[in-house]
Amino acid sequence: MNPAHDNDPRDDDTLAAEYVVGVLSADERRAVSARIESDPAFARLVDQWEAHLSPMDEFVPAEPPASAKRKLDERLFANGPAEAGSRSSGPAGLWSSLALWRGLTAAAVVAVALLAVQPYLGQPGQPEQGAGRLVASLAPQQSDVHYFVVYDARENDIGLSHVTGERGADQDFELWVIEGDQPPASLGVVPAGTSVHLAVDQALSRKIEQGAVFAISLEPRGGSPTGQPTGPVVAAGDLREI
Amino acid sequence: MTAPDITKLIVRTSMKDRAAFDLLYRHTSAKLFGVCLRILRDRAEAEEALQDVYIKIWAKADRFAVSELSPISWLVAIARNHSIDRIRARRRATVELDEATGIVDPTPGPEALTMAAGERARVFSCLDELENDRAAAVKAAYLSGFSYAELAERFGVPLNTMRTWLRRSLMKLRECLER
Repeated sequence: MNPAHDNDPRDDDTLAAEYVVGVLSADERRAVSARIESDPAFARLVDQWEAHLSPMDEFVPAEPPASAKRKLDERLFANGPAEAGSRSSGPAGLWSSLALWRGLTAAAVVAVALLAVQPYLGQPGQPEQGAGRLVASLAPQQSDVHYFVVYDARENDIGLSHVTGERGADQDFELWVIEGDQPPASLGVVPAGTSVHLAVDQALSRKIEQGAVFAISLEPRGGSPTGQPTGPVVAAGDLREI
Repeated sequence: MTAPDITKLIVRTSMKDRAAFDLLYRHTSAKLFGVCLRILRDRAEAEEALQDVYIKIWAKADRFAVSELSPISWLVAIARNHSIDRIRARRRATVELDEATGIVDPTPGPEALTMAAGERARVFSCLDELENDRAAAVKAAYLSGFSYAELAERFGVPLNTMRTWLRRSLMKLRECLER
């Protein structure tokens, strides 16, 4: 497991610190990089060390030559600028990008990763409205169930992208919106599929826009028989504008 | 450009928005080029490294959301790590290079990474709690990307001693930062 020195036992925390401070050999760094990609708990240790040490950083900004950007564009986009263009901001682009989150179970150990993508997603020239599209990560709660949620106020629509975690046979995931001390309100059973949509009525839209929390619970097939969550909350996250 | 602005550009870049990526490059490339130069100390190589760094940013922008780092710290970490990978790979003695080119030490007026001066003061006051040469070793490793072997040579101590120094120093540093 230990990439280098015999008789040199190191715990993960030490290894993460050594990677961040930069003292490891080429082979060790390769091994650590691979581990960051595959081991979310370890990636989090590395992230924490970056956060500890980065205030030490200092550098002299230097303008790179224009040729650097030209070469970068050639390397990135030479084989299909049209494709790159067509993927910008459309729903397909969004979902294929969200699909990249698959396997990113680093999110599992981050309390909540959330992003509000309106107005950033707005197409140029498109009128911006007060409440637009918002994205939240519903991070696992003692489970491996992870969903991404996109709420679109204009369409009264919630899109759910299934990242990880399976429901058992005879069970369903049910999506809830929870506002302050109010009891959770059901948004319905989450249909099976990697990318699904739920309609939202106006009362629920208001709750969402006021900064409600989303939660997913595990329920008997067909949804909670009581109108309130009966099973464990397997994923949760909040949604607010940043 | 403020941190929230850079956050927006990273988010849009993760949606493969090229206009946002271009803007992100425009607003951050001088900083990241500065980081590459500091570690690589070779302009041509730093230019190549910078391209690699932005290719990684394009590919991995979605990871930003699961990081605890500020947007600039996140970008700088990519540039730093890539530059360190490169100097390790080229297997030339950084120590010699450093003497040859003489652009090791930050010139007057380096830009601190962190926007919060308080955080920076804190990390340096914690470094002050370490013995002088150990604090210097931590700084040299972090800012210049020296390996254990290079640090041992520079500080004139055996390799294993340097390992022990650095590990203990890092743990003490964190303990102080979390105090």
